[in-house]
Amino acid sequence: MSKRTEQIENLFAAGASRLLARAVDDYSLTGETLKPRIRSAVGKYVLRDDPQASPEVVIDFIDKLQADDLCLIVACEQGNQKAWSDLVERFSTTVRSAARSASSNEEGAEDLAQSIWAELHGLRVREDGKPAGKLAYYSGRGSLAGWLRAVVAQLAVDQHRRQSRLVQTEEDADFDRIIQHGQQENTWSGHGEAVNPELEISRKLAGAEMQKALAAAIKQLSAEDRLLVKLYYFDGLRLREAGAVLGVHEATASRRLTRVHAELRGQVERILVEEEGWTKPETERAFSEVALHLEADIEPLLATEGMLMKKENEIAG
Amino acid sequence: MKQTNNNEVDLLLRSLARGRGESALQDESWSGDGKRAASDHLDADELNSYAEGVAPAAARARYSEHLADCDACRGIVVGLTQAAGAVTRIEVPEPKGLSFWNKLTTFFSPVVIRYAVPVLVLTAVIGVSLLALWQPRQHELIALNQPSGSSTTPGQIEPTGSPTGHTANEAPVTMQKGVEAPAADGSVNKKKSLEDEKLRAGIGTGTSDNEELRREQVAKDAAKPEEPATLSDLRPSYAPEPKAAAPPPPQASQSEGDSIAFAKEQPAKREGQERKRDDVIRNQPSDEHGPNRSAAPNTAKAPLAARRVGGLTAGSSGQNTQNKIDKAGEVETRTVSGRRFAREGNAWVDTAYDSSRATINVARGSEQFRALVADEPGLGAIAQQLNGVVIVVWKNRVYRIQ
Repeated sequence: MSKRTEQIENLFAAGASRLLARAVDDYSLTGETLKPRIRSAVGKYVLRDDPQASPEVVIDFIDKLQADDLCLIVACEQGNQKAWSDLVERFSTTVRSAARSASSNEEGAEDLAQSIWAELHGLRVREDGKPAGKLAYYSGRGSLAGWLRAVVAQLAVDQHRRQSRLVQTEEDADFDRIIQHGQQENTWSGHGEAVNPELEISRKLAGAEMQKALAAAIKQLSAEDRLLVKLYYFDGLRLREAGAVLGVHEATASRRLTRVHAELRGQVERILVEEEGWTKPETERAFSEVALHLEADIEPLLATEGMLMKKENEIAG
Repeated sequence: MKQTNNNEVDLLLRSLARGRGESALQDESWSGDGKRAASDHLDADELNSYAEGVAPAAARARYSEHLADCDACRGIVVGLTQAAGAVTRIEVPEPKGLSFWNKLTTFFSPVVIRYAVPVLVLTAVIGVSLLALWQPRQHELIALNQPSGSSTTPGQIEPTGSPTGHTANEAPVTMQKGVEAPAADGSVNKKKSLEDEKLRAGIGTGTSDNEELRREQVAKDAAKPEEPATLSDLRPSYAPEPKAAAPPPPQASQSEGDSIAFAKEQPAKREGQERKRDDVIRNQPSDEHGPNRSAAPNTAKAPLAARRVGGLTAGSSGQNTQNKIDKAGEVETRTVSGRRFAREGNAWVDTAYDSSRATINVARGSEQFRALVADEPGLGAIAQQLNGVVIVVWKNRVYRIQ
């Protein structure tokens, strides 16, 4: 065993002892029981990105783990009945609430909530004879309630996907038709009658090139900026909500979006000039014209958007 | 122009988003076990740590990269964030590319100036108003001090005037009819000090002028028992002359600084009075005097039950409460939602609570708390009406709400 590995292992052992000391109820767990879980969490969140992380970083990470939640989950995994009772007692409302959010009706929510407990416990058996449930993958980094919500959400998406594979409902078909219709109408030329066919064709071409350049420019943004654009424009979140996902204040998200607009415009212009052979005045004129047409068309599009979202919500449940 | 550019890009982005096919759910499922499928989705733990903002920076950047491109994971993170409430970490360093000139322009932009100027004006007006109010108050204090001071008989000990003015009625002054009032004007004092110097010099040399000055000084001293040593003595000339002399009571509330100055000036005369004053201070209740405050440890007599409940330690406020309980000699109780609670330290403890039973800890505002209150509205009412830590026995379970 190398010196580094030995040092890290010692940190895990000491961290496990401290974690047990922090827990209100340690369910008679030992440091050795917790050590593999801590090793896994540190490896996943710290050592994967920085294999040479300092001992201080590792200690800080371990000391920020949710001691009570982690002990509860490890005890459940060990088959401690009291821990299971505590888990169900403390988090059944959380699971029900998450299932209700993910399901369209009360019956579906109840089914989903019940299936979560089976998923947590595990229907299969591992090599060591213990059930292979999802409990084994809670690291203690976030809260147990949040983790349970995430498990419920993933299970709901999986269930929905399985159902949609089996049955193509009439609503889905309608939904597809609406989307297709919307896509056809959402071209750059937009609504209204074309006054001049040649002008209309050139505008469509220009719009398509701009759309392509914009998509390429978005890909060149940093991950955080791209995520902000996706959350705000593609997922339809408000700035406050998008900021909450990114962990920043609404005002910060707004400033960042303004900066992203400027970056995107610069990138689109550069792509159009360098790759498509446009001139600078042409790009500026195209921006103005496209914006003018989009503004003129925004009202009917918003109406369609509302209908689409309503339908989507119904189907997604 | 810049705003127009932003609007154009904004419209283009909206249009692009609308034109994009809506297929949020990709055709892969989560293994949920941390082993990434081909799609490389985030597992529940990673999604949750991202939504709660507890993922380390490097891992967070990696997850952001994935979330920007994965609609399904992004949808779950959005849901988790909304469910967990506003997880808002305040301010991350933002515009890196801005130059100093840009920052300066932003700082003095009309938007900022529009709010800053009225605030500055308002602050200035308030400041001037306070200053104007403060000035007359000072005059009032001086004027109040004067009638309280009265003439004393020659040779009577003059207590030190309080600069705070709070002993206006108690502080005797040395003004006496027929005696030249010590003016607040510094010129008089200067003149007097010059005379003193001359006098001292005259005693040494024995010149006739100095002898004359010395005689004048002796005559003044005979008429005036003491020099004005305090602020109350430095009275403005427009102050009315006091009529009645009040006997100098012991100055129990006089500040320590005054006492030191006083003792320096007239140690022999003040010694006896100081002693009396100290006796008065010692005999007064301890909570009226700062220095003695720590010397009143009533907590030693506090009932044991009121000091610590189930590991709860009362803070300073708890200490005060405890003192009150000591004084009252009884425990405060309240009845909420049919449950009776006794005040113990800063905690409300259900009278049915048995300390040997295990408690379920619930933090106010937490997810668990919200869920609990949703299921048990009675508990919500209790938590709402009782502040601080609440230990309640509810349906054969013990909850510790804090």
